[in-house]
Amino acid sequence: MVLRDAVMARIIMHIDLDAFFVSVEQALNPELQGKPVVVGGRPDKRGVVACASYEARAFGLHAGMPLTTASRLCPQATFIEGSFPKYRDASQRFISVLADFSPSLEPVSLDEVYLDATGFESIYGSIWQMAVAIKQRIKDELGLCASVGIASCKVAAKIASELSKPDGLLEIARGEERSFLAPLPIAKLPGVGKKTEQILSGLGINTIGKLSIMPLSALKSRFGASGELLHRYANGIDNRKVEPPGAARSISRETTFDKDTRDRPLLEATFRYLSERVGAELRRGGKQTRCVTLKLRYADFTTITRSRTLKQASNTDQTIFDTGLELLNKALAQEKQPVRLIGIGVSNLVEPSRQLDMFDSSAQRLEQLNIAIDRIRDKYGFTAIQTGRTLLLKEIFPTCEEGYTSQTPSLSR
Amino acid sequence: MQISCLQENLSRGLGVVGRITTSRTTLPITTHVLISSDQSRLKLAATNLEIAISCWIGAQIEQEGAIAVPAGLLTDFVNSLPGERIDISVASGTMELKCARSEARISGQKADEFPPIPEIGEGITTRVDARPLRTAITQVVFAAATDDSRPVLTGGYAQFSGDKLTLAAADGFRLAVHNLTLAAPVAEEVSIIIPARSLRELDRLLKDQEDPVELTIDPQRKQILFRLKNVEIVSQLIQGTFPNYNQLIPQSYTTRAVVNVEEFLRATRSASIFARDGSGIVRLFMTRSAVEPSRITISARAEEVGDNLGEIEAVIEGDEAKIAFNSKYLMDVFSVMEDEQVVLEITNPSSPGVFRPMGDGDWIQVIMPMFVQW
Repeated sequence: MVLRDAVMARIIMHIDLDAFFVSVEQALNPELQGKPVVVGGRPDKRGVVACASYEARAFGLHAGMPLTTASRLCPQATFIEGSFPKYRDASQRFISVLADFSPSLEPVSLDEVYLDATGFESIYGSIWQMAVAIKQRIKDELGLCASVGIASCKVAAKIASELSKPDGLLEIARGEERSFLAPLPIAKLPGVGKKTEQILSGLGINTIGKLSIMPLSALKSRFGASGELLHRYANGIDNRKVEPPGAARSISRETTFDKDTRDRPLLEATFRYLSERVGAELRRGGKQTRCVTLKLRYADFTTITRSRTLKQASNTDQTIFDTGLELLNKALAQEKQPVRLIGIGVSNLVEPSRQLDMFDSSAQRLEQLNIAIDRIRDKYGFTAIQTGRTLLLKEIFPTCEEGYTSQTPSLSR
Repeated sequence: MQISCLQENLSRGLGVVGRITTSRTTLPITTHVLISSDQSRLKLAATNLEIAISCWIGAQIEQEGAIAVPAGLLTDFVNSLPGERIDISVASGTMELKCARSEARISGQKADEFPPIPEIGEGITTRVDARPLRTAITQVVFAAATDDSRPVLTGGYAQFSGDKLTLAAADGFRLAVHNLTLAAPVAEEVSIIIPARSLRELDRLLKDQEDPVELTIDPQRKQILFRLKNVEIVSQLIQGTFPNYNQLIPQSYTTRAVVNVEEFLRATRSASIFARDGSGIVRLFMTRSAVEPSRITISARAEEVGDNLGEIEAVIEGDEAKIAFNSKYLMDVFSVMEDEQVVLEITNPSSPGVFRPMGDGDWIQVIMPMFVQW
């Protein structure tokens, strides 16, 4: 029983930065504070709102809304393209602040982290006080507001932080998870998307409380395996631990084109560029890949992935690209639609190795070439040196230190 | 044409020539076998344009003639017949077969549409005993490259000099060399590259051969003829320069181990099961101890799956050492060795590993290591 109690008595904090992309922009440019601001792109361009400030949300703007709609609803808003590196830096600083409080962190996204606070009461007086201290440090050092939820499990902590927004703090006492969740609309529950919500409201189930008393068998028969998860979450039962991130199991990069395209040189140049980004990341992690995957989304939103296993593990841009290109050629030969999105990924990552060849040292030379290019890029920026294949991108996309800024700059890694 | 022969003989002859015909070809007639009377015998011939095989069987010739018929169809039909006399006649492009109470008609093609089987009258000639030649082929040809990126590596390099024949193959990852003595010396020194496929066919057909094989290389060095008993194989030769492999064989070593082939193969096979996911890497550690027998540890690991460790005793001279190989290449080498014990010589983890015979044999096997994170 001691073991069981130890497992049960956990205190989890969910820390979520408010209107993250916008807040970062506002922190860097105080003139934007208190105004409706949208990060995502210029209003006349294709794309969606990545993040809207609370002032803009008052006009009905929200993430995922097409930019054209957003500019119609709130023409006075400031529209910013944003840039991913900026947000990544802020995110890294956010996480390093949290690391001062607890070693057990699980970043869920750039602006959202679970923190295991079990046993920290004695240090801060209470977990509440610990949360207050965290919020203050984030405000002082990053100029950002965080909302914090405290509960005995992840699902309740996440919902608590969301309900407390903006700049909020909400603690759910142990044993009260169920009563806290019960009156809330089912859409608040993680795992309930639009479709699930529709089905459930069709059955007259509109609150988490009603969902919690639905027989498990009924949920299972309707939703399969996720039915059981819904049942547990709705009852405030969630045994997931806070798990620090492990080593990457796969790496991928993808981009959506400004306009759907059949333009071969553009497709190949973009594909080569993405391959180089994946390759650089792979080498940074000191790994090689055994499997390359192509992802394509066509104009009608049909999405396909095609994979190929390599005979010999590799980490060179050339191998990744060449393998991907074979898959791309094959896919494009079968489908005549224009392409909306293209992506490449590597998986089945292994320790570096190479079969040595008696007559041919080109593989070795290629590896050294990649290392040399990585060094130049680390020092002078990604676009300081490039392959002929990607040259055409220079005329299309603005560059930044990190590479090309593609369609959704706020998300361009 | 009107002839008679025994089902058994025709079946065997079709087995000899028919294997090289393929259904995937740009020249449809090469899926056929050419049947013709040749003095008092029946000649069967097939070609894939790289190799041509001819075979003679005993027959009673009533009336001379020739026809080309689909090899697969004829072979399957003949194999289904009882072991009795077959009467064959050809009239207006159709072959008629009668055997016991079966008969069949097969539409054929005119014999003169069949690609000519190259004839090599003169050239450099020698003879080799069948058994040692088969051993040499087995121990060398597996190392030939299977992809066409470097065509010269897809064949076996044969160097004839005096009464010596050196057979070698390499795909860049391994190299196999075998020396043997010719039954008759060559008049002049000559080096050729024989397609691996031709060597494998030759090996197959040598199985039933006791007498020495007669070899003739045409003066242009474009073709080679192997004359066996009642069988002739003509193969195109691969044109180009085979790499100078001698300079790739290390002349010295820092660690030398004598190992039992069977034990080494077994330990490598165990390790290879764990090496499947990780590019086939197996690691060898050669360790010496003052109190225990020295040994080689063979290990492999599969990320997030598990690992394996096997030990074999070995007589080790020189430094302790480590080296990683692709398990497949190790197993390939051990599988073709006839010796009980072999010598492994290594210098460092990024230099080739060399296998030499412990006893009489005159061969050498070289495997390139894998570069790994130790």
